[in-house]
Parts: sequence; structure tokens; C-alpha cells
Amino acid sequence: MIRQVLIISLVLIPFVSLFLAIPAIEFENREAIFHSIGLIVLLSAINVWLATAFAWWLLWTESKWRYILEWLVFLPLFIPMLATLFGLYLILAEAGLIGTYIGVSLGLLVVTLPYSIRLAYNGMAVIGRPLLEQARLLPMRRRFVYVLFPLFSRTMRTIALFTTVILLSQFALIQLIGAGLIPTVTTELYQSYAGNNLSLALSNTWMLIFFPVLIYFLLSGWSRWMVRMLKGRLQ
Amino acid sequence: MLRSSVALTILVSLLPLAALVFLGVESIGTDWRVLLSDETWRDSLFTTFYVVSVSTVLSLILGTWFARTVVKKGWHLTSTILKIPMFVPHIAAAYLFWLLFSGSGGIGWIEANERNYATVILTYIWKETPFVFLMMLGTYEQLNRSYVETAKTLQLSPLDQFKHGELPFLIKPLLDSTWILVAFISFAYEVPALLGVTYPKLLGVLAYERLSTGLYLEATEPYAVALVWTCLVGIGVFTTYFFTASVRRRIERGVRR
Amino acid sequence: MSLNVKAIRKQFGTRQILNSVDFEVQPHDIHAIVGVSGSGKSTILRIIAGLETTDGGDVLWNNKSLLNIPAHKRRVTMLSQSALLFPHLTVGENVTLATRSRSRKQAEEWLQVVRLGDRYDAEIHELSGGEQQRVSLARALAAEPELLLLDEPFTNLDPKLKVDLQRFIRDLVKELKLTAILVTHDREEAMLMADRVTLLESGEVTRTGTVEQLYDTAPGFGDFVMLEGELRPLAEVEVSETAGEPVQLMKKIYRFGQCFGEYHFEDGRSVMLSTEESFQIGMMYRIKRKEG
Repeated sequence: MIRQVLIISLVLIPFVSLFLAIPAIEFENREAIFHSIGLIVLLSAINVWLATAFAWWLLWTESKWRYILEWLVFLPLFIPMLATLFGLYLILAEAGLIGTYIGVSLGLLVVTLPYSIRLAYNGMAVIGRPLLEQARLLPMRRRFVYVLFPLFSRTMRTIALFTTVILLSQFALIQLIGAGLIPTVTTELYQSYAGNNLSLALSNTWMLIFFPVLIYFLLSGWSRWMVRMLKGRLQ
Repeated sequence: MLRSSVALTILVSLLPLAALVFLGVESIGTDWRVLLSDETWRDSLFTTFYVVSVSTVLSLILGTWFARTVVKKGWHLTSTILKIPMFVPHIAAAYLFWLLFSGSGGIGWIEANERNYATVILTYIWKETPFVFLMMLGTYEQLNRSYVETAKTLQLSPLDQFKHGELPFLIKPLLDSTWILVAFISFAYEVPALLGVTYPKLLGVLAYERLSTGLYLEATEPYAVALVWTCLVGIGVFTTYFFTASVRRRIERGVRR
Repeated sequence: MSLNVKAIRKQFGTRQILNSVDFEVQPHDIHAIVGVSGSGKSTILRIIAGLETTDGGDVLWNNKSLLNIPAHKRRVTMLSQSALLFPHLTVGENVTLATRSRSRKQAEEWLQVVRLGDRYDAEIHELSGGEQQRVSLARALAAEPELLLLDEPFTNLDPKLKVDLQRFIRDLVKELKLTAILVTHDREEAMLMADRVTLLESGEVTRTGTVEQLYDTAPGFGDFVMLEGELRPLAEVEVSETAGEPVQLMKKIYRFGQCFGEYHFEDGRSVMLSTEESFQIGMMYRIKRKEG
């Protein structure tokens, strides 16, 4: 019991900082918030879609390329973050995408996708091949709506959550590839931190923590509602 | 539909490799002798080694130990709470630690300890332990306890029970976690830039600043450093996976779930 | 070197698994605990091995309680359904690990004993199920146990291999003068291997005694027949017209498209055996061991 309390307190102690000062309630940086929300929604959707599709393919394929491709998609996890970013910067500069929304989205997709694929693949492994094999017998639409969605909704939520957290952690990437033209909550935090404005910085920190929590509850509620609705339709 | 999604995923996954090729091309003009003898880079390298190894090793040990204990004792609440830091963005975590340890309102450690990178290391441990915990949790939940029980009845010491009944099955997830953490921590900007000192900077911070400020004429240097560091990590990844390949294959073939 | 299990109780959640179980294992005996799955028999072994705690009662080895001794100091080893060889080690290394002095030579000797002397360097997956179980036995013996626990170690083997290994282990335990407890749901197995048997039903001992006592008194215990002073599984005997112990055919019944006859021995014992349809009720026949 004592050990549990100790571990829990150690995990929770840093949150004390949130209450060390009163956060400023300002909405000056609306553009940054809109950008952040837009990127979160866009990238979560793309990540869920690509990662689930790829993991599904990986589970069933008998291709001789399977092993190599498996390595290929997980390999980016082992490449140091900034090295990928520097190289991407050069590629995107060549393509004229620096300072654009597309460039930033692409950069963020590159750094989030390997994690998402891994999560999706693990999620499917936990459900297990026998159960998924049954799902394969159904036609595509019904397979997805009635079986895969309810089974994967937790994994999908985790993917969206991870994507959100990684995205909100990126300052260097957004600053370099966005060329300072795409402000997000994260880039704002850096400026507020440099500006020594404690309450502004704190309000940004609150926001950074609030976004993932919001995403978590929204998606949980949504998937619960969807599953209930689908069950209703089957009765 | 599935085919095009898979193709798209492969294309996106090829980008980091293409990025490395571009890095290679861009670093062609680098004067390697100057780079290697530059003390600023060298100090950065050693500091980076130190920060990375301490954070990674401690995160691995703590994460594994937590996963093991949580599964063994069935601590559900602790398990849920341990996952929380994972969903706090890195820079938010860094800022929380800065506030906690800074002079104004916090404990006031930051001035005294800053050259030790203690806050950076603590932030990383706080953030990465839950990641390792999650990776190992799945492993421990699927672990066949009968191996440890067999080790016990074979009269092996507690250390040998762990060495033969648990560790072999942890090799793969530990290896994966180690290199994911190293790649993530070793060459990053956000956390050490917020919390670190002006000298010696961590490799990622130094490289990013030299690249973005544009004050340096040797613009190829950061690219070269990024490439060298990637190669070092790559060699580490390759050797560790290569040398454990036979034992991992053996375990996969002989294990009873 | 006797083992006394005294009033052991164990509960999982609200389910009472063991309800005051008592029995005694004599030195150098093979003692079988027979029960259907869920009767709590494996839990008894796990408690004796130190892998499970009790809610009450005691386990005494030479009149000393084992309960406060950790599993790895009890000198009790166990053989399970699955061989559970450590997959990162070779066959021989598995055995060497268990020897007290970590001696390769001793391990090789134990592998000789289980007739796998030439497989020291083999990988686990190269061995068949029966061979793996034999390595597991060598490993369990290499730890020099005072008590050997056998937790249905033959379940996953094919029938021919099973009988071979049952005899092999029985002979070995006797030769090494070990004490062993065998847990099984298979009465035939218990009859073949054990000296004494304890019957367990929903966590309670219903009967305990020597194999012969149980054969005589426990109705329906094992499909065996006493022939030439030895217990034989029914599968190993047949009705003949020429040789064997004399019996009288009392009744003929048809089951599963086959004809069975009820035969009575002269001393009143009876046995049910597969019978040719041409046999006549009331006539004398003979029962003998199957050839080959």
C-alpha cells in the first residue's frame, strides 16, 4: 500500500506546478489554437486510417516483402528525431513546401505514423487472428462497421491520443518546416516562456494538457455512442 | 482501397530514409577534421551520451519494474495513473518540471544543479518510464508464469529465477524500447532547449540552433552532425539486433505460451 | 522421509478449492491423487511445491513444516503437463542449470539416464514432445529433489509414448528410491504407476489406500482386471477359448454396434469385455493377456 501511494505521488507531483500561479485567461492566440485543432483532427484521422489499413494488411499478407516492409515502417522509430527533421527540411525545401500547411502536415505525419502503426498492429495482435478471421467473411462495409470498428475503437482512440501528444510536443519541426508561418499552441508556449510571462506560459501549459484529455473523453464518448447505436441496429 | 493505403504508408515510411540520403548529400562539403576537433561539438557529444544513457537506463529499469509489480500484485489504480504522463506533451512536462525546480515558487534546484542536466533527465524519466511501462505491461501480461515457477522448483536463486524465467522473454521489447528512447531523447530540441544550460548544449539543441539562426557560415555542419549521430545510433541498433538474433530466434521457436 | 498433508484448506475468491484435505505419503512411494479436473488436485501439488499459499492446515516433511520455506529451498521439484524447458538454453544447458554444482558432466549423466545422452547441444524445438518431457524429467532429477511432483505430465503425449514414459518414470523413481506424488484424472494411469492412491472429489478426500485396496472397495475404480495375480488394464486382455483363467459368460449386451459380454470368475469377480457374437450365454471361456 505504501509503495503504491509513493509511486502514485511521484507520478502526480509535477502537476502541482499547474497550481503555482494563476493562469492568464487570454484568447489572443486564436490562430494558434485553430491551427493546433486543425492539425490534430487532420493527422489523427490520417494516422488512424493509414495505420489500421497497414496493420490489417500486415496481419494477413503472404507477400514475400512482408518482412522487409515491416522493418521499413518501424525503422523511422530508430532514426533520431531531429535527423529525420533536418533531412525532411531539405526534401520539402526542394519541393517548395516550406512554410506551407501541407509541408507541416507531411512532416508531422512522418514522425507520428510509425508509432500509430505499431499501436494498431499490437491492438490487432491482442484481439487475435481467429476472431478477425471471422470478420473477414463479412462484406467490406459490414465488416468495418459492425466488427472492426467496435473492436478497434480503443486502439483508434489511443492512436489519436498519441498523435495529439506527439504533435503538441513538436516545436522544432513546426518552426523549421512551417518557417514560423504556422503558429500552434506549442510555438506560442515557447515565446511565452522566453518572454518570462509566467501566467501566460501556464495557461498555454494548461492548454497543452487539456487538448489530449479533451480528445480522450470526446473519442470515448463517441465510440461508446457508436457501439450502442450499432447494437440497436442489430436488434 | 487497402492497396492504395498500404502504398501510401510505404511512401510516407520511405521519407525518413530519403531524408537520410538528402542529409548525406548536404553534408558533402563538410570539413570533417574541423568538425571533429571542434570542442563545442565534442563537449556536446559527451554531455549527450551522459544524459541519454542515464535517462534511458533509469526509464527502462523503472518501467520494467513497475510493469512487473503491477501485473504481479494486480495494482489497477497504479497502472492507470502510471500511464498519465504519457499523455502530457513533452514540452508541457518540461515546463512543469522547470516550474517545480526553478527558483521562483519551486524547490529552487535549477540553479545549483543545472550543469548536471538533472531536470532534463528527470523530465525524460517522468515521460519515458510510462512508455516503457506500457511496452513491458503487454509482455508481462502475456508472460507464461510457469517458467518462473519451474525455475523456483528447480531450486534456482531469485536472481537466476529472473534470469532464466523472465529476462529471455523481455529481450525483444527491451531492445525495441531502448532504441526508440535513444533515438527520441538523444537528438531532440524541445526539452533540453527549455531546461538545459548554455554550455555545453545537448547535440540536438546545438545542431538546431546552428541551423536555424543562420549565423554560421559552415551551414553543412549540423547536417553532418545529424548524419553522424544517426549512423552511431544505426550501428548500435544493428549490432544489438544482430548479436541477439540467434537467441531471439531460439526463444521464439522453443517457447510455450 | 514421509510427507504429511494436514487439514489443508484453500479458497479462490468465493470458491472453496480444498476443504480440509488430509493424506500421508510413505517414503519411497509413488502416491497418486486422482480426481476430475477442478477437484483441486493440482492446487495440492502447488501448495506442496511452495507456488501457492494455504488458508489453513500444514504440510509436514519429516515432521517439519514446509510452509515457511520458500519454493526454491524446499528440495521439491515438479514435472508439469508442458515440459517448460527454458527456450534460450540448449537441451543440455537446461539440465546443467538445475544441477547443484552447475556441472556439465552431471547433466550429461542425467541425459544418459533418460536415454538422450547424445542430445546435449540440441535446441529445444528439435526435440519431440516425449523427448522434451524426458529432458524435463532429467532436469527435475538433476536438482536432486527429495520429493518429486508429477502434475499430469503425460497429458499431451500420444498413447504409445504415454505408456512407455509412465513405465520409465515409475521404474526410475523406484530405482532412485525417490518419493513421488502423481496427480492425474486418469485412473488407469494411477493404477499403473502408483503404490497408493488418494481419491479427491470437489476438494475433499473420499478414499485413500493402496491400489489393491481401492481396486477391491471403490466401485468403478479403473477398468482393470486381476489376472495371474497382477492388475491388467482391460485394453490388454482378451477372451479366448483355449488359454487363461476360466470364466463364465453370464450376459450379452450390444453397445455402439458392438457385442459385450459379462463374465464371472470363479471367485465371484466380474468383468465386461468385448465379445464375439457367436459366444453362448452360460458357457465357460477363458481370459488371458493379449499376445504381443
